[in-house]
Amino acid sequence: MKKIWNALSVEFLKTRKSKILLITIIVFTFVPLMMGLMVFVARNPEIAGKMGMVGTKAKMFGENDWPGFFAMLSQTIASIGLVGFGFVTSWVFGREHTDRTMKDILALPVARSSIVLAKFVVAFLWCILLALILFVVGISIGQLMHIPGWSAGLFSQFSSNYFSTALLTLLLCTPVAWLAGYSRSIIAPLGLVILTMIMAQFAGLIGLGPYLPWAIPGLFSVARDTPGFQLHFASYVILAFTFILGYWATLRWWRKADHH
Amino acid sequence: MDEIIRTEKLTKKYKDVLAVSDLSLNVRRGEIYGFLGLNGAGKTTTIRMLLGMISPDKGIAFINGKKVHPGNTGLWKEIGSLVEIPYSYPDLTVKENLEVIRRLRLLDDKSTVTSVMEKLKLTQYANRKAKNLSHGNAQRLGLAKSLIHNPNILILDEPTNGLDPSGIYEIRELLSDLSKNHGVTIFISSHILGEISRFATRIGIIHNGELIQEINTPQLEQLCQKRLKINTKNNDRAKAVLLQNSIIANDTPDNMLEIPDESTISDPGAIATLLVNNQLPPSLLNMVEEDLESYFLRTIGIKRESL
Repeated sequence: MKKIWNALSVEFLKTRKSKILLITIIVFTFVPLMMGLMVFVARNPEIAGKMGMVGTKAKMFGENDWPGFFAMLSQTIASIGLVGFGFVTSWVFGREHTDRTMKDILALPVARSSIVLAKFVVAFLWCILLALILFVVGISIGQLMHIPGWSAGLFSQFSSNYFSTALLTLLLCTPVAWLAGYSRSIIAPLGLVILTMIMAQFAGLIGLGPYLPWAIPGLFSVARDTPGFQLHFASYVILAFTFILGYWATLRWWRKADHH
Repeated sequence: MDEIIRTEKLTKKYKDVLAVSDLSLNVRRGEIYGFLGLNGAGKTTTIRMLLGMISPDKGIAFINGKKVHPGNTGLWKEIGSLVEIPYSYPDLTVKENLEVIRRLRLLDDKSTVTSVMEKLKLTQYANRKAKNLSHGNAQRLGLAKSLIHNPNILILDEPTNGLDPSGIYEIRELLSDLSKNHGVTIFISSHILGEISRFATRIGIIHNGELIQEINTPQLEQLCQKRLKINTKNNDRAKAVLLQNSIIANDTPDNMLEIPDESTISDPGAIATLLVNNQLPPSLLNMVEEDLESYFLRTIGIKRESL
Protein backbone atom coordinates (compact mmCIF):
# COMPACT_ATOMS: atom_id res chain seq x y z
CA MET A 1 0.00 0.00 0.00
CA LYS A 2 2.88 2.32 0.84
CA LYS A 3 4.24 1.81 -2.67
CA ILE A 4 0.95 2.87 -4.30
CA TRP A 5 0.57 5.77 -1.91
CA ASN A 6 4.09 7.02 -2.63
CA ALA A 7 3.57 6.66 -6.38
CA LEU A 8 0.33 8.63 -6.03
CA SER A 9 1.97 11.39 -4.01
CA VAL A 10 4.67 11.71 -6.67
CA GLU A 11 2.12 11.97 -9.48
CA PHE A 12 0.19 14.58 -7.49
CA LEU A 13 3.36 16.60 -6.93
CA LYS A 14 4.26 16.47 -10.64
CA THR A 15 0.72 17.47 -11.66
CA ARG A 16 0.42 20.24 -9.09
CA LYS A 17 3.63 21.81 -10.33
CA SER A 18 2.75 21.67 -14.01
CA LYS A 19 1.36 24.56 -16.02
CA ILE A 20 -0.89 22.16 -17.93
CA LEU A 21 -3.18 21.77 -14.90
CA LEU A 22 -3.93 25.50 -14.88
CA ILE A 23 -4.33 25.62 -18.67
CA THR A 24 -6.92 22.83 -18.67
CA ILE A 25 -8.81 24.53 -15.82
CA ILE A 26 -8.89 27.77 -17.81
CA VAL A 27 -10.17 25.97 -20.93
CA PHE A 28 -12.89 24.12 -19.01
CA THR A 29 -13.95 27.43 -17.40
CA PHE A 30 -13.92 29.25 -20.71
CA VAL A 31 -16.19 26.74 -22.52
CA PRO A 32 -19.31 27.26 -20.34
CA LEU A 33 -18.62 30.99 -20.31
CA MET A 34 -18.83 30.93 -24.10
CA MET A 35 -22.01 28.85 -23.89
CA GLY A 36 -23.42 31.50 -21.56
CA LEU A 37 -22.50 34.18 -24.10
CA MET A 38 -24.32 32.24 -26.82
CA VAL A 39 -27.44 31.90 -24.69
CA PHE A 40 -27.25 35.61 -23.86
CA VAL A 41 -27.00 36.50 -27.55
CA ALA A 42 -29.78 34.07 -28.49
CA ARG A 43 -32.04 35.63 -25.88
CA ASN A 44 -31.35 39.10 -27.22
CA PRO A 45 -32.09 38.95 -30.96
CA GLU A 46 -31.19 42.62 -31.40
CA ILE A 47 -27.60 41.81 -30.32
CA ALA A 48 -27.51 38.60 -32.41
CA GLY A 49 -28.11 40.64 -35.55
CA LYS A 50 -25.07 42.83 -34.82
CA MET A 51 -22.73 39.97 -33.92
CA GLY A 52 -22.49 38.23 -37.29
CA MET A 53 -21.10 34.70 -36.89
CA VAL A 54 -21.62 34.64 -33.13
CA GLY A 55 -25.23 35.63 -33.65
CA THR A 56 -25.75 32.87 -36.21
CA LYS A 57 -24.17 30.27 -33.91
CA ALA A 58 -26.28 31.50 -31.03
CA LYS A 59 -29.46 30.77 -32.99
CA MET A 60 -28.42 27.11 -33.05
CA PHE A 61 -28.99 26.96 -29.32
CA GLY A 62 -32.71 26.76 -30.03
CA GLU A 63 -34.84 26.91 -26.93
CA ASN A 64 -33.10 29.17 -24.44
CA ASP A 65 -34.43 27.41 -21.40
CA TRP A 66 -32.89 25.11 -18.80
CA PRO A 67 -33.76 21.82 -20.59
CA GLY A 68 -31.97 23.13 -23.69
CA PHE A 69 -29.01 24.44 -21.67
CA PHE A 70 -28.71 21.18 -19.71
CA ALA A 71 -28.75 19.16 -22.93
CA MET A 72 -26.01 21.39 -24.31
CA LEU A 73 -23.86 20.91 -21.18
CA SER A 74 -24.26 17.12 -21.36
CA GLN A 75 -23.25 17.03 -25.00
CA THR A 76 -20.33 19.34 -24.25
CA ILE A 77 -18.91 16.99 -21.62
CA ALA A 78 -19.19 14.13 -24.12
CA SER A 79 -17.39 16.00 -26.92
CA ILE A 80 -15.06 18.48 -25.16
CA GLY A 81 -14.58 15.85 -22.47
CA LEU A 82 -13.39 13.30 -25.02
CA VAL A 83 -10.72 15.73 -26.23
CA GLY A 84 -9.90 17.23 -22.84
CA PHE A 85 -9.73 13.93 -20.97
CA GLY A 86 -7.70 12.47 -23.82
CA PHE A 87 -5.29 15.38 -23.61
CA VAL A 88 -4.92 14.99 -19.83
CA THR A 89 -4.23 11.25 -20.17
CA SER A 90 -1.77 11.79 -23.03
CA TRP A 91 0.09 14.29 -20.93
CA VAL A 92 0.15 12.26 -17.72
CA PHE A 93 1.52 9.20 -19.54
CA GLY A 94 3.41 10.86 -22.39
CA ARG A 95 5.32 13.40 -20.32
CA GLU A 96 7.79 10.76 -19.16
CA HIS A 97 8.84 10.49 -22.81
CA THR A 98 8.87 14.18 -23.66
CA ASP A 99 10.69 14.97 -20.39
CA ARG A 100 12.87 11.87 -21.02
CA THR A 101 12.42 10.76 -17.42
CA MET A 102 11.04 7.30 -18.23
CA LYS A 103 14.32 5.57 -17.37
CA ASP A 104 14.21 7.08 -13.86
CA ILE A 105 10.97 5.32 -12.96
CA LEU A 106 11.63 1.82 -14.29
CA ALA A 107 14.20 0.29 -11.91
CA LEU A 108 12.68 1.22 -8.55
CA PRO A 109 11.33 -0.52 -5.46
CA VAL A 110 7.91 0.78 -6.53
CA ALA A 111 6.56 -1.58 -9.17
CA ARG A 112 5.73 -0.30 -12.63
CA SER A 113 2.13 -1.45 -12.12
CA SER A 114 1.85 0.89 -9.11
CA ILE A 115 3.14 3.80 -11.19
CA VAL A 116 0.63 3.01 -13.95
CA LEU A 117 -2.19 2.80 -11.40
CA ALA A 118 -1.10 6.10 -9.79
CA LYS A 119 -1.04 7.77 -13.20
CA PHE A 120 -4.55 6.56 -14.02
CA VAL A 121 -5.87 7.69 -10.62
CA VAL A 122 -4.37 11.15 -11.06
CA ALA A 123 -5.61 11.42 -14.66
CA PHE A 124 -9.13 10.35 -13.61
CA LEU A 125 -9.24 12.77 -10.67
CA TRP A 126 -7.96 15.56 -12.89
CA CYS A 127 -10.67 14.81 -15.47
CA ILE A 128 -13.36 14.67 -12.78
CA LEU A 129 -12.17 18.07 -11.54
CA LEU A 130 -12.51 19.45 -15.09
CA ALA A 131 -15.99 17.95 -15.42
CA LEU A 132 -16.94 19.55 -12.08
CA ILE A 133 -15.62 22.93 -13.23
CA LEU A 134 -17.65 22.73 -16.44
CA PHE A 135 -20.69 21.74 -14.39
CA VAL A 136 -20.39 24.42 -11.69
CA VAL A 137 -19.46 27.25 -14.06
CA GLY A 138 -22.20 26.21 -16.51
CA ILE A 139 -24.92 26.12 -13.85
CA SER A 140 -23.69 29.42 -12.31
CA ILE A 141 -23.76 31.16 -15.69
CA GLY A 142 -27.24 29.85 -16.36
CA GLN A 143 -28.41 31.10 -12.97
CA LEU A 144 -26.80 34.48 -13.53
CA MET A 145 -28.63 34.87 -16.80
CA HIS A 146 -31.94 33.81 -15.29
CA ILE A 147 -32.62 31.15 -17.90
CA PRO A 148 -36.27 30.12 -17.57
CA GLY A 149 -37.58 26.64 -16.85
CA TRP A 150 -35.51 25.55 -13.80
CA SER A 151 -36.82 22.77 -11.64
CA ALA A 152 -35.20 20.64 -8.97
CA GLY A 153 -36.34 17.44 -10.70
CA LEU A 154 -34.89 18.54 -14.02
CA PHE A 155 -31.62 19.52 -12.32
CA SER A 156 -31.36 16.18 -10.57
CA GLN A 157 -32.01 14.30 -13.82
CA PHE A 158 -29.44 16.44 -15.65
CA SER A 159 -26.81 15.99 -12.93
CA SER A 160 -27.14 12.24 -13.09
CA ASN A 161 -26.96 12.26 -16.90
CA TYR A 162 -24.03 14.71 -16.95
CA PHE A 163 -21.81 12.82 -14.52
CA SER A 164 -22.70 9.45 -16.05
CA THR A 165 -21.65 10.84 -19.45
CA ALA A 166 -18.42 12.15 -17.90
CA LEU A 167 -17.68 8.74 -16.38
CA LEU A 168 -18.41 6.92 -19.65
CA THR A 169 -16.06 9.35 -21.42
CA LEU A 170 -13.41 8.69 -18.78
CA LEU A 171 -13.45 5.00 -19.60
CA LEU A 172 -12.06 5.85 -23.04
CA CYS A 173 -8.82 7.21 -21.57
CA THR A 174 -7.06 3.88 -21.21
CA PRO A 175 -6.35 3.28 -24.93
CA VAL A 176 -4.92 6.82 -25.04
CA ALA A 177 -2.54 5.93 -22.19
CA TRP A 178 -1.41 2.83 -24.07
CA LEU A 179 -0.71 4.81 -27.23
CA ALA A 180 1.25 7.43 -25.25
CA GLY A 181 3.56 4.59 -24.20
CA TYR A 182 3.65 2.74 -27.49
CA SER A 183 4.39 5.87 -29.52
CA ARG A 184 6.57 7.35 -26.75
CA SER A 185 4.97 10.75 -27.26
CA ILE A 186 2.04 13.02 -26.56
CA ILE A 187 1.24 13.84 -30.19
CA ALA A 188 0.17 10.37 -31.38
CA PRO A 189 -2.41 9.81 -28.62
CA LEU A 190 -3.80 13.29 -29.26
CA GLY A 191 -4.10 12.30 -32.92
CA LEU A 192 -6.02 9.21 -31.80
CA VAL A 193 -8.40 11.37 -29.78
CA ILE A 194 -9.15 13.59 -32.77
CA LEU A 195 -9.50 10.60 -35.08
CA THR A 196 -11.91 8.86 -32.73
CA MET A 197 -13.98 12.04 -32.48
CA ILE A 198 -14.30 12.16 -36.26
CA MET A 199 -15.06 8.43 -36.37
CA ALA A 200 -17.74 8.90 -33.73
CA GLN A 201 -19.49 11.46 -35.95
CA PHE A 202 -19.46 9.15 -38.96
CA ALA A 203 -20.50 6.12 -36.92
CA GLY A 204 -23.43 8.14 -35.59
CA LEU A 205 -24.47 9.08 -39.14
CA ILE A 206 -24.54 5.51 -40.40
CA GLY A 207 -26.20 4.10 -37.31
CA LEU A 208 -23.15 2.31 -35.88
CA GLY A 209 -22.75 4.75 -32.99
CA PRO A 210 -24.02 2.34 -30.31
CA TYR A 211 -21.20 -0.05 -31.23
CA LEU A 212 -18.29 2.37 -31.49
CA PRO A 213 -16.82 3.04 -28.03
CA TRP A 214 -15.99 6.66 -28.83
CA ALA A 215 -19.54 7.45 -29.96
CA ILE A 216 -21.26 5.85 -26.96
CA PRO A 217 -20.85 8.68 -24.37
CA GLY A 218 -22.12 11.20 -26.95
CA LEU A 219 -25.20 9.06 -27.62
CA PHE A 220 -25.73 8.60 -23.90
CA SER A 221 -25.79 12.36 -23.43
CA VAL A 222 -28.69 12.95 -25.84
CA ALA A 223 -32.33 12.20 -25.12
CA ARG A 224 -32.94 8.45 -24.81
CA ASP A 225 -35.94 8.58 -27.14
CA THR A 226 -34.04 10.11 -30.06
CA PRO A 227 -34.54 7.65 -32.97
CA GLY A 228 -31.37 5.77 -33.96
CA PHE A 229 -29.48 7.03 -30.89
CA GLN A 230 -30.58 4.35 -28.43
CA LEU A 231 -27.82 2.49 -26.65
CA HIS A 232 -28.01 -1.24 -26.02
CA PHE A 233 -26.62 -3.42 -23.28
CA ALA A 234 -23.90 -4.40 -25.74
CA SER A 235 -22.87 -0.74 -25.96
CA TYR A 236 -21.95 -0.68 -22.27
CA VAL A 237 -20.16 -4.00 -22.57
CA ILE A 238 -18.12 -2.64 -25.50
CA LEU A 239 -17.21 0.45 -23.46
CA ALA A 240 -16.20 -1.62 -20.42
CA PHE A 241 -14.19 -3.93 -22.65
CA THR A 242 -12.39 -0.95 -24.23
CA PHE A 243 -11.48 0.33 -20.77
CA ILE A 244 -10.18 -3.04 -19.59
CA LEU A 245 -8.29 -3.71 -22.82
CA GLY A 246 -6.70 -0.24 -22.71
CA TYR A 247 -5.64 -0.69 -19.07
CA TRP A 248 -4.24 -4.16 -19.72
CA ALA A 249 -2.35 -2.99 -22.83
CA THR A 250 -0.90 0.00 -20.96
CA LEU A 251 0.26 -2.18 -18.08
CA ARG A 252 1.72 -4.77 -20.42
CA TRP A 253 3.61 -2.13 -22.38
CA TRP A 254 5.12 -0.68 -19.19
CA ARG A 255 6.10 -4.13 -17.93
CA LYS A 256 7.26 -5.85 -21.09
CA ALA A 257 8.33 -3.33 -23.72
CA ASP A 258 11.98 -2.51 -24.29
CA HIS A 259 12.62 0.94 -22.86
CA HIS A 260 15.35 2.58 -24.90
CA MET B 1 28.79 -13.70 -2.11
CA ASP B 2 31.65 -12.00 -3.91
CA GLU B 3 30.14 -12.05 -7.36
CA ILE B 4 27.87 -9.04 -7.50
CA ILE B 5 27.12 -8.68 -11.21
CA ARG B 6 27.20 -11.67 -13.53
CA THR B 7 26.03 -11.97 -17.09
CA GLU B 8 25.94 -15.16 -19.14
CA LYS B 9 25.96 -14.87 -22.92
CA LEU B 10 23.81 -11.75 -22.86
CA THR B 11 22.61 -11.01 -26.40
CA LYS B 12 20.40 -8.33 -27.88
CA LYS B 13 19.57 -7.83 -31.53
CA TYR B 14 17.68 -4.96 -33.15
CA LYS B 15 16.44 -6.09 -36.54
CA ASP B 16 19.71 -6.66 -38.42
CA VAL B 17 21.97 -5.05 -35.84
CA LEU B 18 23.57 -7.20 -33.19
CA ALA B 19 23.84 -4.67 -30.35
CA VAL B 20 25.28 -7.07 -27.76
CA SER B 21 26.60 -10.53 -28.51
CA ASP B 22 27.20 -13.34 -26.01
CA LEU B 23 28.43 -10.98 -23.34
CA SER B 24 29.62 -12.78 -20.23
CA LEU B 25 31.25 -10.87 -17.40
CA ASN B 26 31.62 -10.87 -13.64
CA VAL B 27 31.99 -7.95 -11.29
CA ARG B 28 33.15 -8.71 -7.77
CA ARG B 29 32.21 -6.97 -4.55
CA GLY B 30 33.88 -3.60 -4.06
CA GLU B 31 35.28 -3.62 -7.57
CA ILE B 32 35.12 -0.64 -9.92
CA TYR B 33 34.54 -2.21 -13.29
CA GLY B 34 35.20 0.16 -16.17
CA PHE B 35 33.14 -0.80 -19.19
CA LEU B 36 34.82 0.75 -22.14
CA GLY B 37 33.69 1.10 -25.73
CA LEU B 38 33.10 3.52 -28.53
CA ASN B 39 29.69 5.12 -29.00
CA GLY B 40 27.36 2.42 -30.32
CA ALA B 41 29.59 -0.41 -29.07
CA GLY B 42 26.79 -1.83 -26.90
CA LYS B 43 27.54 -0.21 -23.52
CA THR B 44 24.15 1.41 -22.98
CA THR B 45 22.24 -1.62 -24.25
CA THR B 46 24.16 -3.79 -21.76
CA ILE B 47 23.45 -1.35 -18.94
CA ARG B 48 19.75 -1.23 -19.83
CA MET B 49 19.65 -5.03 -19.79
CA LEU B 50 21.32 -5.02 -16.36
CA LEU B 51 18.61 -2.65 -15.16
CA GLY B 52 15.71 -4.64 -16.62
CA MET B 53 14.81 -1.89 -19.07
CA ILE B 54 15.50 -4.10 -22.08
CA SER B 55 14.90 -7.84 -22.26
CA PRO B 56 17.80 -9.82 -23.69
CA ASP B 57 17.05 -12.02 -26.69
CA LYS B 58 19.36 -14.61 -25.21
CA GLY B 59 21.36 -15.00 -22.04
CA ILE B 60 20.76 -14.02 -18.48
CA ALA B 61 21.97 -11.47 -15.95
CA PHE B 62 22.25 -11.76 -12.19
CA ILE B 63 22.80 -9.04 -9.64
CA ASN B 64 23.55 -10.10 -6.06
CA GLY B 65 22.64 -13.62 -7.09
CA LYS B 66 19.14 -12.57 -8.13
CA LYS B 67 17.98 -12.85 -11.70
CA VAL B 68 17.47 -9.46 -13.31
CA HIS B 69 13.80 -8.99 -14.05
CA PRO B 70 11.76 -5.76 -14.25
CA GLY B 71 9.30 -7.06 -11.66
CA ASN B 72 12.00 -7.94 -9.14
CA THR B 73 11.44 -4.71 -7.22
CA GLY B 74 13.44 -5.87 -4.19
CA LEU B 75 16.55 -5.95 -6.34
CA TRP B 76 16.31 -2.29 -7.32
CA LYS B 77 16.49 -1.19 -3.67
CA GLU B 78 20.16 -2.09 -3.64
CA ILE B 79 21.06 -0.46 -6.96
CA GLY B 80 21.64 3.13 -7.96
CA SER B 81 21.76 3.88 -11.65
CA LEU B 82 22.34 6.58 -14.17
CA VAL B 83 21.64 5.85 -17.82
CA GLU B 84 22.98 8.09 -20.57
CA ILE B 85 22.20 11.80 -20.26
CA PRO B 86 20.26 12.30 -17.04
CA TYR B 87 17.03 14.22 -17.45
CA SER B 88 14.78 15.50 -14.70
CA TYR B 89 11.28 16.95 -14.53
CA PRO B 90 11.92 20.42 -15.97
CA ASP B 91 9.27 22.26 -13.96
CA LEU B 92 10.33 20.76 -10.65
CA THR B 93 13.20 22.18 -8.64
CA VAL B 94 16.33 20.21 -7.79
CA LYS B 95 14.92 19.50 -4.34
CA GLU B 96 11.54 18.42 -5.72
CA ASN B 97 13.16 16.13 -8.28
CA LEU B 98 15.09 14.45 -5.48
CA GLU B 99 11.93 14.33 -3.39
CA VAL B 100 10.25 12.40 -6.22
CA ILE B 101 13.04 9.81 -6.16
CA ARG B 102 13.06 9.69 -2.33
CA ARG B 103 9.38 8.77 -2.33
CA LEU B 104 9.71 6.26 -5.17
CA ARG B 105 12.63 4.65 -3.35
CA LEU B 106 10.41 4.36 -0.26
CA LEU B 107 12.90 6.29 1.92
CA ASP B 108 11.23 7.55 5.09
CA ASP B 109 14.06 9.83 6.11
CA LYS B 110 13.43 13.20 4.45
CA SER B 111 16.94 14.38 5.30
CA THR B 112 18.34 12.09 2.59
CA VAL B 113 17.44 14.80 0.07
CA THR B 114 19.48 17.46 1.90
CA SER B 115 22.43 15.20 2.51
CA VAL B 116 22.70 14.03 -1.09
CA MET B 117 22.47 17.65 -2.26
CA GLU B 118 25.38 18.48 0.04
CA LYS B 119 27.37 15.50 -1.18
CA LEU B 120 26.92 16.51 -4.83
CA LYS B 121 27.32 20.26 -4.12
CA LEU B 122 23.78 21.03 -5.22
CA THR B 123 22.56 22.81 -2.08
CA GLN B 124 22.84 26.27 -3.62
CA TYR B 125 20.64 25.13 -6.53
CA ALA B 126 18.03 23.40 -4.33
CA ASN B 127 15.23 25.73 -5.41
CA ARG B 128 16.27 26.09 -9.02
CA LYS B 129 14.06 24.41 -11.61
CA ALA B 130 15.76 21.54 -13.39
CA LYS B 131 15.19 23.20 -16.78
CA ASN B 132 17.37 26.12 -15.66
CA LEU B 133 20.36 24.01 -14.58
CA SER B 134 23.64 23.97 -16.45
CA HIS B 135 24.60 20.71 -18.15
CA GLY B 136 27.10 19.93 -15.42
CA ASN B 137 24.62 20.53 -12.61
CA ALA B 138 21.97 18.49 -14.44
CA GLN B 139 24.55 15.69 -14.47
CA ARG B 140 25.15 16.16 -10.74
CA LEU B 141 21.40 15.96 -10.16
CA GLY B 142 21.34 12.69 -12.11
CA LEU B 143 24.13 11.35 -9.91
CA ALA B 144 22.35 12.59 -6.78
CA LYS B 145 19.27 10.61 -7.81
CA SER B 146 21.39 7.49 -8.18
CA LEU B 147 23.10 7.97 -4.80
CA ILE B 148 20.20 9.19 -2.64
CA HIS B 149 19.57 5.75 -1.08
CA ASN B 150 23.26 4.90 -0.44
CA PRO B 151 23.17 1.87 -2.73
CA ASN B 152 25.57 -1.08 -2.50
CA ILE B 153 25.75 -1.31 -6.25
CA LEU B 154 26.11 1.53 -8.72
CA ILE B 155 25.51 1.11 -12.44
CA LEU B 156 26.57 4.28 -14.19
CA ASP B 157 26.53 5.09 -17.88
CA GLU B 158 29.06 7.82 -18.72
CA PRO B 159 28.47 9.67 -15.42
CA THR B 160 31.06 12.40 -15.99
CA ASN B 161 29.65 13.53 -19.33
CA GLY B 162 29.32 17.29 -19.38
CA LEU B 163 31.30 17.88 -16.19
CA ASP B 164 34.23 20.27 -16.13
CA PRO B 165 37.69 18.92 -15.08
CA SER B 166 37.15 19.73 -11.41
CA GLY B 167 33.73 18.10 -11.53
CA ILE B 168 35.21 14.98 -13.13
CA TYR B 169 37.86 14.90 -10.39
CA GLU B 170 35.24 15.25 -7.63
CA ILE B 171 33.08 12.47 -9.03
CA ARG B 172 36.13 10.24 -9.46
CA GLU B 173 37.12 10.82 -5.84
CA LEU B 174 33.57 10.25 -4.67
CA LEU B 175 33.27 6.94 -6.54
CA SER B 176 36.72 5.80 -5.37
CA ASP B 177 35.74 6.59 -1.79
CA LEU B 178 32.47 4.70 -2.11
CA SER B 179 34.31 1.68 -3.44
CA LYS B 180 37.32 1.71 -1.10
CA ASN B 181 35.70 2.79 2.13
CA HIS B 182 32.11 1.66 1.81
CA GLY B 183 32.46 -1.51 -0.27
CA VAL B 184 30.22 -0.22 -3.03
CA THR B 185 30.48 -2.18 -6.27
CA ILE B 186 30.59 0.11 -9.29
CA PHE B 187 29.95 -0.75 -12.91
CA ILE B 188 30.80 2.32 -14.92
CA SER B 189 30.79 2.80 -18.67
CA SER B 190 32.84 5.29 -20.61
CA HIS B 191 34.44 5.82 -23.97
CA ILE B 192 37.54 7.43 -22.43
CA LEU B 193 40.10 4.87 -21.24
CA GLY B 194 42.37 7.52 -19.76
CA GLU B 195 39.64 8.62 -17.38
CA ILE B 196 38.44 5.16 -16.42
CA SER B 197 41.94 3.76 -15.88
CA ARG B 198 42.55 6.31 -13.11
CA PHE B 199 40.15 4.67 -10.74
CA ALA B 200 38.76 1.44 -12.19
CA THR B 201 40.16 -1.76 -10.73
CA ARG B 202 39.26 -3.78 -13.79
CA ILE B 203 38.42 -2.83 -17.34
CA GLY B 204 36.32 -4.60 -19.94
CA ILE B 205 36.49 -3.46 -23.54
CA ILE B 206 33.39 -3.90 -25.67
CA HIS B 207 33.45 -3.48 -29.42
CA ASN B 208 30.67 -4.18 -31.92
CA GLY B 209 28.68 -5.74 -29.10
CA GLU B 210 31.40 -8.19 -28.06
CA LEU B 211 33.55 -8.14 -24.96
CA ILE B 212 36.97 -8.31 -26.57
CA GLN B 213 39.25 -7.87 -23.57
CA GLU B 214 39.18 -7.82 -19.79
CA ILE B 215 42.21 -6.53 -17.90
CA ASN B 216 43.17 -5.59 -14.39
CA THR B 217 44.18 -1.93 -14.35
CA PRO B 218 47.70 -2.58 -12.98
CA GLN B 219 48.35 -4.79 -16.03
CA LEU B 220 47.39 -2.00 -18.36
CA GLU B 221 50.77 -0.25 -18.25
CA GLN B 222 52.59 -3.41 -19.25
CA LEU B 223 50.32 -3.83 -22.23
CA CYS B 224 50.98 -0.37 -23.61
CA GLN B 225 53.60 -0.37 -26.36
CA LYS B 226 56.86 1.60 -26.08
CA ARG B 227 58.74 3.25 -28.95
CA LEU B 228 62.00 5.14 -29.12
CA LYS B 229 61.76 8.47 -30.88
CA ILE B 230 64.97 9.90 -32.33
CA ASN B 231 65.96 13.12 -34.05
CA THR B 232 69.36 13.90 -35.55
CA LYS B 233 70.74 16.53 -37.95
CA ASN B 234 70.45 13.95 -40.77
CA ASN B 235 67.70 11.46 -40.17
CA ASP B 236 68.09 9.72 -43.56
CA ARG B 237 71.71 8.85 -42.75
CA ALA B 238 70.78 7.89 -39.20
CA LYS B 239 68.11 5.52 -40.57
CA ALA B 240 70.72 3.90 -42.85
CA VAL B 241 73.24 3.55 -40.00
CA LEU B 242 70.63 1.92 -37.80
CA LEU B 243 69.63 -0.44 -40.60
CA GLN B 244 73.26 -1.48 -41.09
CA ASN B 245 73.08 -2.59 -37.44
CA SER B 246 69.81 -4.48 -38.03
CA ILE B 247 67.70 -1.84 -36.33
CA ILE B 248 64.58 -0.83 -38.21
CA ALA B 249 63.56 2.79 -37.81
CA ASN B 250 60.46 4.34 -39.34
CA ASP B 251 59.78 7.92 -40.36
CA THR B 252 57.23 9.76 -38.26
CA PRO B 253 54.77 12.39 -39.48
CA ASP B 254 56.81 15.07 -37.62
CA ASN B 255 59.99 14.20 -39.59
CA MET B 256 61.71 12.20 -36.89
CA LEU B 257 62.60 8.53 -36.54
CA GLU B 258 60.92 5.94 -34.46
CA ILE B 259 62.07 2.47 -33.43
CA PRO B 260 59.06 0.29 -32.58
CA ASP B 261 60.84 -2.92 -31.56
CA GLU B 262 60.68 -3.14 -27.76
CA SER B 263 63.59 -5.60 -27.44
CA THR B 264 65.88 -3.24 -29.39
CA ILE B 265 64.96 -0.17 -27.38
CA SER B 266 65.48 -1.82 -24.02
CA ASP B 267 68.94 -0.17 -24.05
CA PRO B 268 68.55 3.33 -25.51
CA GLY B 269 72.09 4.19 -24.40
CA ALA B 270 73.53 1.70 -26.93
CA ILE B 271 71.55 3.32 -29.74
CA ALA B 272 72.75 6.78 -28.68
CA THR B 273 76.37 5.54 -28.67
CA LEU B 274 75.95 4.04 -32.13
CA LEU B 275 74.67 7.33 -33.53
CA VAL B 276 77.36 9.43 -31.79
CA ASN B 277 80.08 7.13 -33.15
CA ASN B 278 78.72 7.82 -36.65
CA GLN B 279 78.85 11.61 -36.11
CA LEU B 280 75.09 11.73 -35.74
CA PRO B 281 74.58 12.84 -32.12
CA PRO B 282 70.85 12.72 -31.38
CA SER B 283 69.20 16.03 -30.57
CA LEU B 284 66.27 14.04 -29.22
CA LEU B 285 66.12 10.54 -27.78
CA ASN B 286 62.79 9.93 -26.16
CA MET B 287 61.11 6.78 -24.95
CA VAL B 288 57.47 7.24 -25.89
CA GLU B 289 54.95 5.07 -24.14
CA GLU B 290 51.68 4.41 -25.89
CA ASP B 291 48.95 6.35 -24.19
CA LEU B 292 45.86 4.59 -22.96
CA GLU B 293 43.69 6.05 -25.67
CA SER B 294 45.96 4.65 -28.35
CA TYR B 295 46.05 1.30 -26.58
CA PHE B 296 42.27 1.25 -26.55
CA LEU B 297 42.06 2.17 -30.24
CA ARG B 298 44.71 -0.43 -31.12
CA THR B 299 42.80 -3.07 -29.17
CA ILE B 300 39.61 -2.43 -31.08
CA GLY B 301 41.53 -2.31 -34.36
CA ILE B 302 41.63 1.42 -35.09
CA LYS B 303 45.03 2.92 -35.95
CA ARG B 304 46.04 6.32 -34.71
CA GLU B 305 48.72 8.12 -36.67
CA SER B 306 49.81 10.54 -34.00
CA LEU B 307 50.97 7.84 -31.60
